[in-house]
Amino acid sequence: MRQSMTAVLERDTEFQKDFETEPYEVAWAGEARWFVQHVGGDGTARYVTQVSPDGITWCDLDGDEHVAAPGALVSWPASGFGHWLRLRAVVEGTAVVRIHLAVKA
Amino acid sequence: MTTSDVRAALLSADPRLSKFSPLKRILAFDDFDSGTHGWCELLGNYNGRGDLSTVDAHMRDFRPPQLSACNFFDIGTHGALSGTYALKLATRPYKGHTAVAIRRLTMSGRGLVQLETYFAFKSEATLGGGPELDTFGDVQWDGNTHPSEAQFGAFTVATDLCGDGGLRYHTVARYQNTDLDNRFTRQWVAPTVPEPTPREHFEGKVKLEYAADFTAPNPEDWKPFGEPQELCYNEVPTKVNWHYLRWLVDTDARRNVELQVNDRVMDMRDVPVPPYEERYETLENLLNFYFSVRTHSAVRNFLFLDSVLISVDW
Repeated sequence: MRQSMTAVLERDTEFQKDFETEPYEVAWAGEARWFVQHVGGDGTARYVTQVSPDGITWCDLDGDEHVAAPGALVSWPASGFGHWLRLRAVVEGTAVVRIHLAVKA
Repeated sequence: MTTSDVRAALLSADPRLSKFSPLKRILAFDDFDSGTHGWCELLGNYNGRGDLSTVDAHMRDFRPPQLSACNFFDIGTHGALSGTYALKLATRPYKGHTAVAIRRLTMSGRGLVQLETYFAFKSEATLGGGPELDTFGDVQWDGNTHPSEAQFGAFTVATDLCGDGGLRYHTVARYQNTDLDNRFTRQWVAPTVPEPTPREHFEGKVKLEYAADFTAPNPEDWKPFGEPQELCYNEVPTKVNWHYLRWLVDTDARRNVELQVNDRVMDMRDVPVPPYEERYETLENLLNFYFSVRTHSAVRNFLFLDSVLISVDW
């Protein structure tokens, strides 16, 4: 049986400016998938997966941008990451954001 | 050889259990090398439409627990007491923010309940900046003591218990490392009031702000018990030394009994356990445990749990 875990890193949080999610440690996991949902607001945001060796210093994983518009649920996988994951987001307007990180061993 | 002799021999021969002193019936043995074992994020209550804006502001961001290999910038993977992973609670870097992990059971009897764990507490390392960062609170870096120790606020172990016709109460023990001015207190404290509830907010009695102390928001409602206790922080934010904690409560008498932390045993029988005045429905036989960590600085605070064992005498 594989280990799996879902973490809710933002729970209907309103953003009016760029942000990063809190660091999340996933050393045990072999794969991950982001789910980003804009549950409110009229703005859009562009998201990029970031990785870190220590939870403090960050760089983009692959540079791929994922755009979420009002009402949309957007999802993408992350693989080959180190032991930490987070998202950085560039926000235009106002977005109320729900972010799930689903990870599996 | 008696039955208890056989049991003691089996426990002492098992390296997973020999570091604990369980009561006769083990309800849960949570080794975080094999998952989170039901320790999950606490969230306040919400309405029938799943509208999370109806969750109290101070109870909507307690952060998901993480399975951590205790990875740090300076040495890489530290690892846990046993195996690789520990359960980690991490606050946001926001003064007053609290991270909580809760475990939900019910009672099939009444009597002694014991929670044991091996834990470590840490502040997040700070990288860069100027020499002003070598001083924080009571600490000036001198090669041994490190300012990150004064950036750690408090951690708490607590229950949420209900039964006997809806009588609800909490037993709570908090290690307060620093006060809200970041001065060392290193004192065990317990609240003298019950925890504010979503219904009190719903009825317009209480409205707490984000990062309010959800267990008891007024610092004056926390009273010390036992003597101040210095724990092992071990100088820098990236050395993990595991502490033993054993906490005994009595759900028949609805009282604390005692708290052991390393070599210190504190009698908690006289620590008050204030119940809610109103009776609760849908909580019959509730047996919840939670750990929390609260930062008193703008630095993330971490609580690591190597493993947890819950046992009872019924």
